[in-house]
Amino acid sequence: MPEIQNENPTILNVSELPSRRSKKIVPRSGPDSTFDSVLYPKQAWLSSSSSEGEEADDDDDVAPIDEQDIFDLISPISDPEHPHTLGQLSVVRLPDIQILSSDSNHRLTTVKVDLTPTINHCSLATVIGLAVRYRLEQTLPPSWRVDVRMKDGSHAQDDQVNKQLGDKERVAAALENETLRGMLEKMLEGC
Amino acid sequence: MPPPTKAIISPLPPFQPDLYIRAWSSHPHPTLPLIATTHDKSVTIFSLSTLSKHSSLTGGHSRSIRSAAWQPSSTPSTLKLVTGSFDATAGIWTYDQSGTLEKNVSAEEDEWEFNLVLEGHENEIKSVAFSPTGQFLATCSRDKSVWIWEEVEEEEWETVAVLSEHEGDVKFVSWMPEYKSQKGRRFGEDCLVSASYDDTVRVWREDMDGEWVCVCVLTEFGGTVWAVEWEKEKEGGEGGICKWRFITACQDGSVKVWQRKDEPEGEEKEENKDWSIPNRMRRELREEWICVGELPRVHEREVYSVCWNKKGVVATTGGDGKLVLYGEDKEGKWKVLGQVEGAHGDYEVNHVVWCRRWDGGRKGEEEMLVSTGDDGVVRGWEVKFE
Repeated sequence: MPEIQNENPTILNVSELPSRRSKKIVPRSGPDSTFDSVLYPKQAWLSSSSSEGEEADDDDDVAPIDEQDIFDLISPISDPEHPHTLGQLSVVRLPDIQILSSDSNHRLTTVKVDLTPTINHCSLATVIGLAVRYRLEQTLPPSWRVDVRMKDGSHAQDDQVNKQLGDKERVAAALENETLRGMLEKMLEGC
Repeated sequence: MPPPTKAIISPLPPFQPDLYIRAWSSHPHPTLPLIATTHDKSVTIFSLSTLSKHSSLTGGHSRSIRSAAWQPSSTPSTLKLVTGSFDATAGIWTYDQSGTLEKNVSAEEDEWEFNLVLEGHENEIKSVAFSPTGQFLATCSRDKSVWIWEEVEEEEWETVAVLSEHEGDVKFVSWMPEYKSQKGRRFGEDCLVSASYDDTVRVWREDMDGEWVCVCVLTEFGGTVWAVEWEKEKEGGEGGICKWRFITACQDGSVKVWQRKDEPEGEEKEENKDWSIPNRMRRELREEWICVGELPRVHEREVYSVCWNKKGVVATTGGDGKLVLYGEDKEGKWKVLGQVEGAHGDYEVNHVVWCRRWDGGRKGEEEMLVSTGDDGVVRGWEVKFE
């Protein structure tokens, strides 16, 4: 392993991370689920692929995939050089996740994730980006397109890193590299 | 014949079997009813008569095969295919077909022999292409270089040139085809175009000293250039019109047509003959290629593949899963003739190519499109023009 580049990052407590579940623990006066159908309308892609939508598989969420879901998928990824998750290190932040539906092409949904590496010259930015892209491509339905970028100004070689992460062929080739693959698997252990 | 104004695109049954893994590209044989699809570490050859598997190439490469090319001069009894792999090598495969072209899924799979490995590139090979006569093979790689190889003797390949002026991965190489002159004589120049991750396209030629040099750099791109293809000689064309055009597909969603600007008359050649300046600086080796048309922007994401048929109809596919057809009217304006959304369901479509039809007893006169996708499906599309 190379020398640790940022020895003293800010670390959030797990309970400080944005989470849907944690909010539900807060005592409420009204019934919990009254507004669920409004807040989380039925999943279009799920209901069209399952027979009648009524009995979606147990582990499938009935609500559409939203920014919080994306956050939950990628925040447990471990940082390659710290014993913390990308969520704890604020590399992944909920407000930097954006889901866009195409106007003209109703088939596709795009998720844009802007990452904030812990320090400016983090040579591992590409690996972190790759892990995020890989995680999302493995878990989201095929109609989703994943755009992972470094948040503007957060990283010295933004353009290079972004370009690389946006290149399907490079990503595919990188995933065939065993060393890199091993690193990714390790980062994804906690997911 | 007036140019078509509309195209009706209907899917044909997918080639059998499904590959169940991302397939990168499909390459029709220049004369025989065969098409080679690259996927994972293998190539599956499909018969275009039965639309099912003919044979497969496995066990030669340690990483994915990205691209393939049929050697044009291979004799009917021996098929020769070159593969370009992420393992940084190009493989040369031969198939001894003892008279049995029309084979089905049950065919034995050991007839393809992995003959030779071309080593030299430092990283993944992205694309391989034979020059029209089959004399030269071009390979390009993430190592930013294009290599030109020549088979000097049976199974003996030499490196003719290493072109390393690109500043990023070279994604695609394409040779200028042969064109027919007015007297019916075929002619062609060995001219290569390369498309790159450095957001440029370069044109290469052999100079009078036998050195390969870059004669033009095109920079009007807003991202990686994924593919480039030369215009085909038009069917029943008026006595060998040779426009020297090629078309580019770019990450920024643009598809552009490029043409060589006519050389100015009377310019003295060999002007600098006695000067000791590098070849690439010689005036006669500079060419000007200009953008002569841009196709309507239909794709919402990167355009991965572009192909041109003999009627002048262009097809593109990309990350948005669309298959789009375009035609050029008499004024040279490009229009959309038709499109299919979700050509491979929700998946990205990596490649599209025109090829001759042999299914249902056809004899190769008609054409169809073949698309290749991330869903591991290879499928033909019937296209009817109005």
